[in-house]
Amino acid sequence: MTLRIAEQENEWINRDMPLTFEYEGQQIEAYEGDTISSALWAADIKVLGRSFKYHRARGLLSFANHDVNALMTDGQDTNIRADVIPVTHGMQLTAVNTDGGVLKDKGRYIDKISAFLPVGFYYKTFHKPKWMFPFWEDKIRKAAGLGKVNFNYPRITRAKRYAHCDVLVVGAGASGLSAALEAADAGSQVILVDENRKIGGSLTYDMAADVNTGSLLKQLTENVLNHPNIRVIADAYAGGYYTDHLVPIVEKRGITKVRAGSIIVASGVFEQPPVFRYNDLPGVMLSSAAQRLVNRYSVKPFTKGIVVTANDYGYRAALDLAAANVEIVAVIDMRQTGADGDLTAKVKQAGIAVHLGSCIYEVVPTSDKMGVSAVVVCAYDEATAEADLHQQVVLHCDGVAMSAGWAPAAALLYQAGTQMRYDEAVQQFVPNQLPDGVFAAGKVNGIFELEQRMLDGKRAGAEASRYLGKTTVSPVEVTAHRGNSPSHPYPIVNHPKAKNFVDFDEDIQVKDFINAAKEGFDNIELMKRFTTVGMGPSQGKHSNMNAIRILARIRDLPVEKIGSTTARPFFHPTPIGHLGGRGFHPHRLTAMHEWHVKEGAVMMEAGVWMRPAYYLPAGVKISNQQAVQQEALAVRKSAGMIDGSTLGKIEVFGKDAAAFLERFYTGKFASQKVGNSRIAMLLDEAGVIVDDGVAVRLDQDKFYVSTNSSNAATVYREMQRNLQLWGMQVTLVNLTGVMSAMTLAGPSSRSILSEVTELDLLDEAFPQGAYREALVAGVKARVMRVAFVSDLAFEIHVPSSAGLHVWQKIMDAGKTYGIRPFGTDAQRLLRLEMGHHLISHDTDGLTNPFEAHADSLVAMDKPFFIGQRSLKILQKKPLKKKLVRFVLDTNFSEMPKECNLVIENGEIAGRVTSISFSEYVNRVIGFAFVLPEQAKAGNQFAIRTDSGRMEMAEVVEDAFLSLSQG
Amino acid sequence: MKLLQCPVNGIRPVSEFTYGGEYREMPDADTCSDKEWATYVHHRHGAPGLKKEWWYHGPSGTWFIAERNTLTDKVSRTYLYGQENKA
Amino acid sequence: MQNVVLQSSVAFAQTSLKPELGFINGMAIANRYADPDVESRHAAKLTICDVSCLSRFAIKGPAAADTLKAKGVELPASANSWSRHDETLVMRLGSSEFLLEDPIGVQQCKGLSEQLQSGDGVHVVLRNDASFILSGELLDELLAQVCAIDLSGPMLADNRLAMTSIAGVSVIVLRQEVAGQSLMRLWCDGTFGVYLWETLLDIIKELGGGPVGFNQFFNSN
Repeated sequence: MTLRIAEQENEWINRDMPLTFEYEGQQIEAYEGDTISSALWAADIKVLGRSFKYHRARGLLSFANHDVNALMTDGQDTNIRADVIPVTHGMQLTAVNTDGGVLKDKGRYIDKISAFLPVGFYYKTFHKPKWMFPFWEDKIRKAAGLGKVNFNYPRITRAKRYAHCDVLVVGAGASGLSAALEAADAGSQVILVDENRKIGGSLTYDMAADVNTGSLLKQLTENVLNHPNIRVIADAYAGGYYTDHLVPIVEKRGITKVRAGSIIVASGVFEQPPVFRYNDLPGVMLSSAAQRLVNRYSVKPFTKGIVVTANDYGYRAALDLAAANVEIVAVIDMRQTGADGDLTAKVKQAGIAVHLGSCIYEVVPTSDKMGVSAVVVCAYDEATAEADLHQQVVLHCDGVAMSAGWAPAAALLYQAGTQMRYDEAVQQFVPNQLPDGVFAAGKVNGIFELEQRMLDGKRAGAEASRYLGKTTVSPVEVTAHRGNSPSHPYPIVNHPKAKNFVDFDEDIQVKDFINAAKEGFDNIELMKRFTTVGMGPSQGKHSNMNAIRILARIRDLPVEKIGSTTARPFFHPTPIGHLGGRGFHPHRLTAMHEWHVKEGAVMMEAGVWMRPAYYLPAGVKISNQQAVQQEALAVRKSAGMIDGSTLGKIEVFGKDAAAFLERFYTGKFASQKVGNSRIAMLLDEAGVIVDDGVAVRLDQDKFYVSTNSSNAATVYREMQRNLQLWGMQVTLVNLTGVMSAMTLAGPSSRSILSEVTELDLLDEAFPQGAYREALVAGVKARVMRVAFVSDLAFEIHVPSSAGLHVWQKIMDAGKTYGIRPFGTDAQRLLRLEMGHHLISHDTDGLTNPFEAHADSLVAMDKPFFIGQRSLKILQKKPLKKKLVRFVLDTNFSEMPKECNLVIENGEIAGRVTSISFSEYVNRVIGFAFVLPEQAKAGNQFAIRTDSGRMEMAEVVEDAFLSLSQG
Repeated sequence: MKLLQCPVNGIRPVSEFTYGGEYREMPDADTCSDKEWATYVHHRHGAPGLKKEWWYHGPSGTWFIAERNTLTDKVSRTYLYGQENKA
Repeated sequence: MQNVVLQSSVAFAQTSLKPELGFINGMAIANRYADPDVESRHAAKLTICDVSCLSRFAIKGPAAADTLKAKGVELPASANSWSRHDETLVMRLGSSEFLLEDPIGVQQCKGLSEQLQSGDGVHVVLRNDASFILSGELLDELLAQVCAIDLSGPMLADNRLAMTSIAGVSVIVLRQEVAGQSLMRLWCDGTFGVYLWETLLDIIKELGGGPVGFNQFFNSN
């Protein structure tokens, strides 16, 4: 039997485009434009899922993505919200959270034992006997959760993009449309966003059989779509509000981050259900769900139904259903005073009985417990929330439309920092104090009547325009709400057998709140977490207000004293792929990158740089470790070259250049000769070593300073800042990416270099630590003699555009000498062999120069340098640790690792900072922090390995190279 | 994401900037006591309120001061070091 | 410089596209990637062109402006703006730093770099720019995906330039009108060149565009 009816005026389905899809193994017919749920309902399939905890059969509730009764999977996606996801031809769906299909779900037996599974049961039950808990925990964990993660989910990039506008209007209902038009007319660029496929909000379904609604909708829609200043983004939701009006709009294709000059929130309200026993059976739904079903999808919610309402809205829905020829047996009004006279008359005229001061005490299920067969209607006492069983009647029906009131969709307002207040006239939280540039309009602002809503939108649009300094419009007066409250203060019907649901995501009933309060969880935040109300996938959209009202009654406090929990971004669950976007990961390449890759370099990330760790040339079968040792040996025996382009390089020019360096670094530069280099050690204000580089004096007032690769940006930034503070005449230029640098090292380095340059490279002309400028391979180069990896080494700097050329020429010249390119792994070993520590590898966030044998680099007699005063204070105190070189005992069994501890008398005395086997020296060598009294050359100390063994090491004074025979 | 105004480059998203710590006056390193120096180096004021902060605009390499209320996260003004009076 | 072949910092990213090569200012560059009509379509729809090879000169310091004026170079008056002196592009970065760029056939930058040295209040700035032209009807869509600020509006109007971040990389950007078409010029540190080229080109291809060689915008040798 089909529940599809004749074409409705503004239906969203396209009857010319039939589709088919599969649900739970059954073929279903649908139309383009149907959502999965609307198509299923049209096919009279009402069991759309099983609830999370008790596995109760569920159908439509809000039909607006305010609940997850209908959560399905197609094998790839686990979070298909059938109520709002359109049907695509050939879909194959099953309900999640079932074992054996949605109808025969084995989990349905849990409903029978639900008495043993109240809220918070997992805190108390199954803990004794203790040894059994892991068994129960495994069972409970398997039962929890909705859907199965698909570990083969394909990686699809959903690019993010930015958009900018003057006014962002969230929600395209009557107020949103009016607000957008007003702001656009005033000259603002407007972006209007709505999560529904088509704009119009409740104008698309809430007519109360008024024929004018359709033409109003058409007019507003056309005006908006044709307005040059308005960009409409439909089928997308505003995910959250971030500082300075940044709102991510989540579309299927990806997130658009809108930066707006101002924002108007016209997001409407969530319908809240009245609470009575078995209000969750398939066939019982919110009135607005019934209206959407009929007016958008031309599907009857039921054949013969009841409307139960605690506000005037149920009457409106009844009129819409009657106009679509749905049989309504009666309207059950929980209020003694009933509804607006006009509405009541229209309902009665349609032949529908009206019962005032009555409630649904309980729904009578069908024999399979998966549908509605009748309702038990009783007289209702609003004060006590009790049904009077002495006055009852059973009405037969196959469905119920229910209304009780609304909760504002105020998430974005809360996130923006809006102060809300509780308005008694509408029994709703409304904005009280809005932040600058944030405006609210329509039902979320407590305005419900249609004309007033449009005026309220106009008002907000005008206010936003004024805020932005656009042409001012005369102020708009909006009338406060008159008549019956759109929300009922307490639409709850007590029942001794419970199963009167408040939160359908989490299967929370009224008694759960009472029990939570009894246990002391009686403020809104604790209540939420103990009962888990509002913590399901809908995050309280359909349950929040009822929860607050129940707690208020338990505590005998007014609603505003209870307050509300806040709503966090994102408004709906958002795929992580959307949040990731493209994932920009900038990286830097040196000029020689291509050469490294061709030569088999294994590249590694050093910060944002790509550097060769070692080389495995094609066709050569060696292990990584062998490659590293070979590269290092080449430097010891003949020559090697490393690409050091990542080094920080800063030009410090000006009259005060030397004076600046003297204040910035620990050393002396005033008397440094042109053509010489000096160590440039940088401390922070606490006296901790930050960086050590080399400063070369190019000229009287020109220095070329290098820094460790990882510190380049920081050192340059700090130089800039201190330059301002000290007001000195210096200009700084960061040449890190501008110059390529390469270090040619080893006994043959001089011979190789001399083949590509005319420069005199002998010791007398070019001593250790000297700097020269010359053509190398035809390119103007800055050349330094350095001794970091080898006693004889030359560091060559050339402009990057010539870097590859110079590198290639040197490698060519070195072929006959057996030159090897070497990477960072070999460099680590080589500098270790030379006895050089690495800042921030062998030193940490607390190491001062006195602990690291750097006393000689500190010129305490200067008038000022960064960290000086701290060093003066530290000098007066005893040392706590000292960095020493060590060799490991030759008879070691287990190689210690970096960070293994030095143990002395059962206490931690230090740790290993660097350690490596050196083929050249034929010993395991390293650096370690030890106690000052352990630091003498020849002293033995113990290192505890990962497995707990103690390996002995000996402090060594001289560089390790002197230990080798060669 | 927050917007911040660089005095030279204008309003930009905060992702273009690096925070440089609170702006603090250094005591005279020659004459202050050890305790005063240690307080300057290691202690910070945690109480919320209007603070002067160093900020660095990365793409242009511009250092400037921002006066920010750390409770409301509102920046009242920004200016280049030494140009407080012109702000 | 004898027999020295300079490399564009972006060259590594382009070799797989097998461009037809040429030489500008001693640097090997990609002249063309595809047939002229294919490239014209790309240029109309959305394209990126590597112009790193153009000759540049940069200088900063309190005396930089005066030094350039003394050499007869007309400068833009306000900070973060650009102008043309004859055909040379003159950019004022902040208030006291200048970057000049010659189109091909002009030797102004070469001349300045030979005549000017760092001195009192003047610092000649060596640079290694990766530089691109971006153009096409979908340019704003590309920029929306890589830049958080609005580059389509007043920010770059009236000869203004901006120093901002694109795809996580610090860049200088400005817009120019050439033969009625809106072009975007972009400079970044050359070591980011390959990353930026690849990142932008990926998006350009997704949007239906493609790369163009130097010949598309310049008549080279």
